[in-house]
Amino acid sequence: MAAPVASISEQLPGDVLIDRSPRTRFRLGFDRAMGWLTPLLFLVAILPILDMVYYISAKVVPTLTWNIITSTSPYQTDALGVPLTTTAYLIGLSTALAVAFGLLGGIVTAELLPERWASAARTGANLLVGTPSIIIGYLGYLAFVLYFGWGLVFLSGAVTLSFFMTPYVFRTADLAFSSIPRTIREAALGSGASPSQYIVRVGLPIAFPQILTGVFLAMAIGIGETAPLVLTMESAVLVPHSLFSPAIVLTEVIWENFQSGTPVLVLLAFQAAFLLLVIVLGLNVIVRVISARYQKRLEGLYQ
Amino acid sequence: MDASAPSSETGGREPLPSPSTPNGGAPSPPGSRLAWLRYLALVPALIPLGVIFAIVYTISWASHLTSLPGFFSFNWAPTTNWGIGVFVVGSFMTAVPALFFSMVIGLGLAVASTTYLPRLISSLLDPFVDLLAGIPSVIYGIWGFVVIGPYFGLTLNPWLSAHLQLIPWFHATRTAPINSLGLGLPLAIFVLTLMSLPITTLLIRDSLRAVPKDLWESGLALGATRWEVLRRVAFPYSRRGIMSAAFLGFGRAFGETVAVAMLIGSTAQIPPSFYGTGYTLAAAMFELIDSAYTSAQWLSVLTEMALVLLVISLVVNIAGRRLVISLSTTEVAGV
Amino acid sequence: MSGAEGAEGRTILSVDHLTVTAKGKTLLDDISIDFAPHSLTAVVGPSGCGKTTLVRSLNRMTELTPGLRVKGAVNYLGQNIYDRRVNPVLVRRRIGMVFQRPTVFPSSIYENCAFGLRLVHTEEEKVDVAVRQALTRAGLWDEVKDDLDRPALSLSGGQAQRLCIARALAVQPRVLLLDEPSSALDPGATQRLEATMEHLKEEIVMVLVTHNVGQAARVSDRVAFLHTGRLVEVGETDDILERPKDPLTQQFISGRFE
Repeated sequence: MAAPVASISEQLPGDVLIDRSPRTRFRLGFDRAMGWLTPLLFLVAILPILDMVYYISAKVVPTLTWNIITSTSPYQTDALGVPLTTTAYLIGLSTALAVAFGLLGGIVTAELLPERWASAARTGANLLVGTPSIIIGYLGYLAFVLYFGWGLVFLSGAVTLSFFMTPYVFRTADLAFSSIPRTIREAALGSGASPSQYIVRVGLPIAFPQILTGVFLAMAIGIGETAPLVLTMESAVLVPHSLFSPAIVLTEVIWENFQSGTPVLVLLAFQAAFLLLVIVLGLNVIVRVISARYQKRLEGLYQ
Repeated sequence: MDASAPSSETGGREPLPSPSTPNGGAPSPPGSRLAWLRYLALVPALIPLGVIFAIVYTISWASHLTSLPGFFSFNWAPTTNWGIGVFVVGSFMTAVPALFFSMVIGLGLAVASTTYLPRLISSLLDPFVDLLAGIPSVIYGIWGFVVIGPYFGLTLNPWLSAHLQLIPWFHATRTAPINSLGLGLPLAIFVLTLMSLPITTLLIRDSLRAVPKDLWESGLALGATRWEVLRRVAFPYSRRGIMSAAFLGFGRAFGETVAVAMLIGSTAQIPPSFYGTGYTLAAAMFELIDSAYTSAQWLSVLTEMALVLLVISLVVNIAGRRLVISLSTTEVAGV
Repeated sequence: MSGAEGAEGRTILSVDHLTVTAKGKTLLDDISIDFAPHSLTAVVGPSGCGKTTLVRSLNRMTELTPGLRVKGAVNYLGQNIYDRRVNPVLVRRRIGMVFQRPTVFPSSIYENCAFGLRLVHTEEEKVDVAVRQALTRAGLWDEVKDDLDRPALSLSGGQAQRLCIARALAVQPRVLLLDEPSSALDPGATQRLEATMEHLKEEIVMVLVTHNVGQAARVSDRVAFLHTGRLVEVGETDDILERPKDPLTQQFISGRFE
């Protein structure tokens, strides 16, 4: 019967560890090549970001004055104070609504709902996140501007935007509460805490950083949205004085003026773009920092 | 593996007992005073789902206002013929190539992150990819228009046209010219690729990370190179995650509105050449909304368009979500 | 340098003053062992003694853990596997490994077995022959011969582990490393596995990490006892287990450590 393994006196190809055969060289070479090529792809992500930031900054920074940012004159070519302030108000209201509904919904889903309802709720949140912003904007238009009759006003925009932002807060709250270690949860309930006490006194403090991340993320997304607001609000030159006034936000400034062709207006668009970038990237960085700190804290929780 | 359940460490939990559900989620005995509270608790949780339903309902309601001749045709001639075919085709023509590129690049990035780069370096570089998702689309629009457009219009597109002459549609002619600003398909695809990249990379990266360490090591222990283990073990194992990346990435590209509106050239036609201008469903809706303020017929058209866009979007989303292995990282990254 | 010719009894694998450190902490301290052909050496010791590290350094799997520093040499047929010119991929062709948990790939039984072969050979006939041989040597052939295209995931734990052995054997290694291969298996499967190991040791060099002294007694020819990274004693199985020279060895064997 043939020996299944060569005896030591027979040399097998792999016995010589330094192998120069073509096939082996190809295999090793290909792997090495991939080791260089794939990391290079990061440039595809890094270069555009750097270029965007650099280009817009270079174009805008020399022209910026403190006045442009803070002037509350009616919105025009050298006064962005109005859009900035309006954006702040709008995001403020939208975030408040998003947090109210998202936080409540997320916690309820994580803690109070039986599995099938929870599953449905989560699916709803995920679908909403994936829905194109223009569809949500269009819903806002049909529902608030037309059907409710509010018209193209601040409130329409704010509520529409809050629809957009809610699922982000929802998912984060859901996830945050769901990741609280079972042991902590059982310890709290076991020592006689009622569900609402657990949620408020134990759950929220633990989940707070993560929820904060979700809120900032939602805000960053909301600030960057254009379509839903163009659809639901009429442009204005002043800060809205009531919920039913027209309003203009930073992104709309860019959208309106960029395509005009007039150099002054195009510059205005770029200035607005610069401010927008600073705010949005700033929020993103904050989100990341909080996330990183939270990770460390979590590790402490789990020991 | 149940995609929507939290990790096993904390999952499978019984709902907390509440005044309305003293049995913790089990049905209350009939006649219990506070049973209705349970339904109240449902409300905030179901708001997102409610919004989806509201969208579908409202849009369907608004769509039967008038009948629309020629809706499924490719002839867009407002007030006589309402063929949205051109927009739908345009949406696919931009989203599909964008998906292709973002999947290829995303695969490469995920592979680099999980296999070839030390953990330290990859944790520094990964956030940049995620940052691409945080940039507002209107900024992609102006950057694309001012920086990338001229390059495409004056350099890249003519070069491609010259070198791909033999393939009819890739050859620009007098009747199918290259837009000198660079607006058109290539620019739109480029920007959409960048915008879908974060989703695809994140999901593929997570799928690869979910491959058990033992399995990787077994592959290597059999004398395979890292690439061979990836190709023959890790990718087959992560098939579902990779497919979900494709679906969700496609959904992102398909639904993008503002950036595309600024870069596609806004022409209601199927691009006569690869370099031509066109339109997408989302961009067209966005730019035509002004007309809706005036007439009921416009409103109806737009509503139908919204419905088509919504249906495609939901289908792609649902398919994608069902395949996702782990939702938690996508939620943190806001994808 | 290959020195493949020579009298029987030559060492195929030997460890020469091997020291492995991580972040300043010493995991293995100046270890030297010779592994004779046609033998099974059991590596035993209390948890944390470095037995897994030792075995993983025999096929350069230590490189998968960042931060490990390896000093000294591991010689396969006279060549140091840690030589700069040697790619680990080549080392693992001849020094195979089976892990604690059965790690079958998500494909058919046949494809699992053929995995290593497909990387280097391309002729289907050779692959076929090798797969059959490997499954036979691993003691799995009779159980799967009727349906080799069945998904490997449908095998029981013990069968899967034997498939992992077959998979490793298919590329004709001279050395097989086993890291606690039966720890995830029930006693019946363990018994079958041990029978397979006894069978195989007549053909190739085997190094078995086990925390189970009884298993070492049953299947091994030699035993190496490690304690906090040092090689305390090594010798014939009967000698070590019945007449241990070092008090640490004595303590371990009589069960005071674990």
